[in-house]
Amino acid sequence: MSGEHKILSIDYSKCIGCETCESVCKFANDTPRIHMTRTRDGVMAPLYCHHCEKPNCALVCKRGAIRRDRDGAVILQTMHCRGCQTKSCLVACPFAAIFETDKGVMLAKCDLCANRRQLGLGPACVDMCPCGAIAYVARAEAEALETDASRAAFARVMEHIKPSGPAGK
Amino acid sequence: MDAMNFNFACAEPAPPKPGSVGIIGAGPSGLAAAGYLSCLGYQVEVYDKLPKPGGLMLFGIPGHRIPAERIALGVRDMERKYGVIFHTQTKICCSAPLHDEEGDHFCKEMLGFGELIKKHEAIIICSGSWKSRKMGIPGEDLPGVYSGLEFLFPIRAARYQSPSVKIPDVAGKNVVVVGAGHSAVDVVHGAIRLGAASVTMCYRRTAREAPCGVFEIERAGELGAAFRHLVTPLRILGAGKVEGIEIRQGELAEAGERGACAMVPGSEKVAALPADVVVAAIGEIATPPFAKELGLEDVRKGEVHWLHMTAIENVFVAGDALTGPSKIGKAVYSGLRAARSLANWLDLKALNRQDAYAYDDLIAIDDHKGGARP
Repeated sequence: MSGEHKILSIDYSKCIGCETCESVCKFANDTPRIHMTRTRDGVMAPLYCHHCEKPNCALVCKRGAIRRDRDGAVILQTMHCRGCQTKSCLVACPFAAIFETDKGVMLAKCDLCANRRQLGLGPACVDMCPCGAIAYVARAEAEALETDASRAAFARVMEHIKPSGPAGK
Repeated sequence: MDAMNFNFACAEPAPPKPGSVGIIGAGPSGLAAAGYLSCLGYQVEVYDKLPKPGGLMLFGIPGHRIPAERIALGVRDMERKYGVIFHTQTKICCSAPLHDEEGDHFCKEMLGFGELIKKHEAIIICSGSWKSRKMGIPGEDLPGVYSGLEFLFPIRAARYQSPSVKIPDVAGKNVVVVGAGHSAVDVVHGAIRLGAASVTMCYRRTAREAPCGVFEIERAGELGAAFRHLVTPLRILGAGKVEGIEIRQGELAEAGERGACAMVPGSEKVAALPADVVVAAIGEIATPPFAKELGLEDVRKGEVHWLHMTAIENVFVAGDALTGPSKIGKAVYSGLRAARSLANWLDLKALNRQDAYAYDDLIAIDDHKGGARP
């Protein structure tokens, strides 16, 4: 079942760091849920929710505020979120894709544009990325999109989020 | 290749609304604004000096980074499904002398700004930043000296067959690139692909501070480009054409215990690099028409009563034309916000209530909270 659910998949080797995804997300959702970052080497990369098969964020949330909706998107139910101080979900995310904000429960995460999905539209960032770097595909098909370049670029970004060397200790 | 969907704000066109909107410039902010307003049902007409919509996404950034087809398909959808009319090779005249900016020679038609204001209910200026910044050193006018855009633009534009567009001839030549932004990197890649004998990037600070980042510099190095840090260009050498560039070269100190390094004081030496082509990729300047008359400085500061509205009440401004050179994403956001503001204003105008909100607080305050400042 979960292989059919659609997720976002960003090819970091195609990304030029133009921030269109973040801007459009901000326009569509007020608080952006995808965030452009710059690694120490100056590689630009948007951090985004992978809507994991086994989402750590949902596991660690004591309130059960993070759930899968009927399309398989991992969503934060702000109604149930307490905005707790520990922010376990934020810490638990392997992709650094839950963001602290200054509004409401002080957290923002991608819900694959839930409000747009109701209208039969897809995620706004996918529509507007000039490079075509963001795909909205079934989880089972995401792997087929990978290339050597995309895997290498992904590894560079992960090394920045979670350094393996002495810097990470 | 999927289309870019400039009409992302809606699933299908809304019923037509009375009134038309003109948009000057078909770059990221203009196209985003056109997409948004055509979703609402306005008749949108877009004017651009170039033969194809896309602006610097198409003519400034190399095709291996942004696929031209993806923009073209998005534009086609806007034309066919949303009835947007594109007037290409049309320049809205004119505060700067013609042929002052890259791409001016493509214009086949001139339209007066006054005509446009009368023709449309409202217009948005999204004319971007097309004038290259100069180094301001002697010898800069010698043949063989290019700005980043002068170098990159013809590579993309030559396929549109304007006789006055010529790809820079760098085959077998020594190329020196001044600057270390993304355009500078694109120039390096372009020069190598066009068969330059050597390519040297010169940057005033070090790779660690370079806007393009260490990774891109290393990658350029793998392709065969040299990188020199702590360089100040002094003058371009040569008689009749470029023969070299005189620079002041600093020396980097050893990293201290805390890792930071700086230039060795007094280490600067004057040197001459042989060069047949010098490209100064040091940024662009916005050249919106009638900046003064439209009070763009006030719009920039947010000292206006309507978001993105200029001193002329049915003229709005967005993107790089307003903020100066930025990023595609910033331009898109600015275009979308201006479009929304324009639509709100037109709605009130239809009710004859546009004065009802005009004396609210200046929007600058609001704007700061939104974090939308450049």
